[in-house]
Amino acid sequence: MKRYIAKRLLQLIPILLAITFLSFAMMRLAGSDAVLQKMENTGMVLSQDVIDAARAELGLDKPFLTQYFVWLGNLLQGDMGVSYISGRAVLPTFLSKLPATLLLTAVSLAMTVAVSIPLGVLAAVRQNRLTDALIRAASFVGNSLPNFFVALLLMYVFAIRLGWLPVISREVTLPNVLLPALTLAIAMSAKYLRQVRAAVLDELSRDYVMGARARGVPFRVTLTKSVLRACMTTILTLLALSIGSLLGGTAIVESIFMWDGVGKLAVDAINMRDYPMIQAYVMWMAIIYVFVNLAADLSYRALDPRIRLGGERP
Amino acid sequence: MRMRAPLCSRRAGRLVFFLALAVLLLLTVLFARQLCPYDPNAQVFETLLPPSAEHLAGTDRLGRDLLSRILMGLRTSVLATLFLVAAVTAAGTAVGVLCGVLGGAADGLLMRVSDVCLAFPSLVFALGVAALLGGGLHNAVLALAVIGWPKYARIARSQVLALENADFIAAARLAGDTNGQIILRHLLPNILGPILVTAVLDIGTMMMELAGLSFLGLGAMPPTAELGSMMSDGRSMLQTYPWVVLAPGVAIFVAVAVFNLLGDALRDWLDPKNSARGESPGRTNETARETP
Amino acid sequence: MKRRKRVLALLAAACLSAALLAGCGGDGGSEETDGAFVLGDTTFNAENEEPDVNPHNAYSGWACIRYGVGETLFRWSDSMEIEPWLATGYERTDEYTWVITLRDGVTFSSGRPLDGQAVQACLTHLVETHDRARGDLMIESIAAEGQTVTITTAEPRPTLLNYLSDPYGCIIDMEAGVTEEGVVVGTGPYVVTSLKSGEELDLVKNETYWGGTPGYDRIKVLTITDGDTLTMALQSGQIDAAYGLPYASYPLFENEDYTISSCATSRTFFLHMNFESAVIQDDAVRRAIAMGVDKERFVEDLLDGNGYVAAGPFPDSFSFGGGAVTDRDYDPEGAKALLEQAGWVDTDGDGIREKDGQKLTIRYLTYPSRQELPLLAEAIQASLGDIGIEVVVNVTADHNSIRVDPGAWDVYASAMVTAPTGDPAYFFTTHCLDDSAVNNGHYHSDALEAQAAALDGAFDPAQRAELAVAMQQTILDDDAFVFCSHLQMTMISRADVAGLTAHPCDFYEITADLRPAA
Repeated sequence: MKRYIAKRLLQLIPILLAITFLSFAMMRLAGSDAVLQKMENTGMVLSQDVIDAARAELGLDKPFLTQYFVWLGNLLQGDMGVSYISGRAVLPTFLSKLPATLLLTAVSLAMTVAVSIPLGVLAAVRQNRLTDALIRAASFVGNSLPNFFVALLLMYVFAIRLGWLPVISREVTLPNVLLPALTLAIAMSAKYLRQVRAAVLDELSRDYVMGARARGVPFRVTLTKSVLRACMTTILTLLALSIGSLLGGTAIVESIFMWDGVGKLAVDAINMRDYPMIQAYVMWMAIIYVFVNLAADLSYRALDPRIRLGGERP
Repeated sequence: MRMRAPLCSRRAGRLVFFLALAVLLLLTVLFARQLCPYDPNAQVFETLLPPSAEHLAGTDRLGRDLLSRILMGLRTSVLATLFLVAAVTAAGTAVGVLCGVLGGAADGLLMRVSDVCLAFPSLVFALGVAALLGGGLHNAVLALAVIGWPKYARIARSQVLALENADFIAAARLAGDTNGQIILRHLLPNILGPILVTAVLDIGTMMMELAGLSFLGLGAMPPTAELGSMMSDGRSMLQTYPWVVLAPGVAIFVAVAVFNLLGDALRDWLDPKNSARGESPGRTNETARETP
Repeated sequence: MKRRKRVLALLAAACLSAALLAGCGGDGGSEETDGAFVLGDTTFNAENEEPDVNPHNAYSGWACIRYGVGETLFRWSDSMEIEPWLATGYERTDEYTWVITLRDGVTFSSGRPLDGQAVQACLTHLVETHDRARGDLMIESIAAEGQTVTITTAEPRPTLLNYLSDPYGCIIDMEAGVTEEGVVVGTGPYVVTSLKSGEELDLVKNETYWGGTPGYDRIKVLTITDGDTLTMALQSGQIDAAYGLPYASYPLFENEDYTISSCATSRTFFLHMNFESAVIQDDAVRRAIAMGVDKERFVEDLLDGNGYVAAGPFPDSFSFGGGAVTDRDYDPEGAKALLEQAGWVDTDGDGIREKDGQKLTIRYLTYPSRQELPLLAEAIQASLGDIGIEVVVNVTADHNSIRVDPGAWDVYASAMVTAPTGDPAYFFTTHCLDDSAVNNGHYHSDALEAQAAALDGAFDPAQRAELAVAMQQTILDDDAFVFCSHLQMTMISRADVAGLTAHPCDFYEITADLRPAA
């Protein structure tokens, strides 16, 4: 077990090397750089001398491979560099954005689970009846609209028409997180709901459910004790998928609500070609990817000891 | 199983119904040009007219007929998405099957490559591709395709691994079938179902991903109409000229809903017993990403 | 019956949970904003080179001056003339020497009086640390005596006062210094209490302000980069005023609950012609393009009137701007005739003209970060299409690497500030001369080079203006650039706010005049 975990964590190293190199190459090829992006935003022309000097200061004048290895060398000494845009150290800046993203992830997942599991079970129990149809119809609405659009609609309804919630959620507090979390939860609930319904239906068709009914066990008990437990695998898979993408930051939603998380940071960094910050972001994504998958595999095993770990060959 | 028997035909009925809807959508898309009431690029009308009998969806900021723009935009979005999904499905399945059958070092290497693709933020990748090859929708599609195949490779591979020990495969091996024959005759037909379901259900997601990229200026170049950029360009008008956003929004909604419903029906029909696992490919290292 | 009950129960439960969720945040909107004035701004962040309020850092001087923290020695009047501010006057003793007299009775918010020494220390630090200022001012030495400062420049600097009026010229107390967050002590009506870069700035009234009593006790500036969010924040009352709203939102505020103040700025949308391109080298093609752009339609229809039709690079607010020059009128028929004459004829009936078997196709490069540019591209694509020119548009964030490759484009549309210091020389030296940094199309004119040299040595403002007009006319006659429109800068405030007025130079926002409406 320990060896297995160690092996999986070791995989992180080649992945990190590959994706940091790839993103380094990609962004260098992307033509513009931080110096030119700032010039574009201010609308002021800089002379070539000033541009060259600014580039030299950032080390952008050096050959690409040199830049990468300098960056890698510094990284190994625990130095992730300074942002080309703000001039502040990358690591603390990045870490300071994490609480917002963590809270948003937690609250939106809580909302999703709270809505989709009961409704999904209800839809399955009432399969092909009106309740089922209504719930499923609602899930399509949630799943078929771009999230920036959902965000604007929610903002309009809750912040302007009703005036219940603030438009801008600058401080990382519970009331402030509700609107962005709701936006994310709507799309996720739609997906979860359909999966939970399918999983419960699958489970309900098994023989033991029939048997329990025949033995006079109340349906409610079967449902809560056995069926839901059996559906946990599905829910875990979904959670692993969602946590992965949520922790990576949900750039559009974070940007629209001015929610100061890593997604907004990433988009800003990409738009401004802030290379050191982008590197921090892709590393974060790789780490999440490896850890979330590991955690998911370990929990599958905990739920069902028959499962072999990690896609190994039989 | 007794309870399911009558439902099977009902499932088939639903599938036919949604298939018909999807075909209708495809026909609309293919004959979009003929269906347009006006030239979609002609900036000849008054700007921002609300919907009326002459302009069923109103006009946009440049004085173009919105219904015509939406029809052409639907064409761009749907065709690009279908192409993208077809490409990642084909490439991913091929890689996944090969990995599953060959095993060993090739498998290990390809799976590590797929790890990198899955862990790589698609936005960074798309920007790089746009810089290398220039902007435009076809390059955005290419970028998403290059980074999108591993999901299908993972599904195909896990399906192949699950089947490898099945009796009929062992029998075929004993009968002296080559790897190629086993793949074509036995593996592909058996794993296509779940892959197809995933692909159809992915169409909606991919359509939104492409819309997200065109929002960042990596999408279709003017004057080509495209639903995602029509919505994001018009989003400031939600309160003042709502039809400019709502009309393409309804079009995206309809297209995504049709493909999602079709995917659901397909899954129920193909594998009623296994419907829970159709979309979530078990415990493979599969991580979905959203374009930030 | 039973089924219906369940559905009802379900709906009730859904409503209840929604209400509960929403209820948690019932009073979430109040961010201790009692009595404070809250301004939402889109550009106050490091991405726009305004990470803080330290005028000696990047373009942060803009934030320093806009939010009422710092003030400059001279300032721009509403008619864009230089007038004294922290100074009361100046005397130029020769081409190199300027003696500036400071206003009496001004103190920094630290309590230190403003005197020659304070100004000397500030400007010395400025030219030591700020590359752009050093290049602009060309200060050789500064001497202080009582309430006068004597500045000697290394070369004749006719526009020294213009540069001193740039936001980087905000006079700050160097004894109080610059904090790690980039907070400085100035002479303005408001004093910084806290600053979170890219997020928010808190200000309090400067109790000892020399120019009257500031109208608010506290002010908060919030950076809100998304235009739609900014719109809704103003609608919901979370902010009291906004800068940088999308045009499409304006109709929401065109009523008695809000006050709108706008004016033209020198940020201009214009086309560069690429003189390395064979098609563009054809005089008739350039002129036809200039005649084929419907500027009026762009401004009136596409920008909803929120812009100003441009003739040359400078707006009306400058004496040498606006209608002082003659541009090509929109004349599609004339353009067609011109092309016809030059041998560009549509022989195969596809709507695109050809000459010697070559189609009249223009590769049009622009970028998406300014919302107006893609719109302009689409409008021009259509109007040039009408006269038989095919326009292939490339809207890309990657334009900076493409524009320096003369083989990759024919026409490039950009949005740049043409007169940041109120002086005409800047535009020509950056865009139109042989050694200009962004003369992307390699335009060359002997006449213009000569005029530019003359402008360099001209001290008399009237003579400078005259030269500026002649130079604009030169580039317009060559059809080297087509100026489409000037950006309109707009600030919208709630009706209970008075004194938030848009200024043509875009520098002055929060002043001592800003106060609750009576």
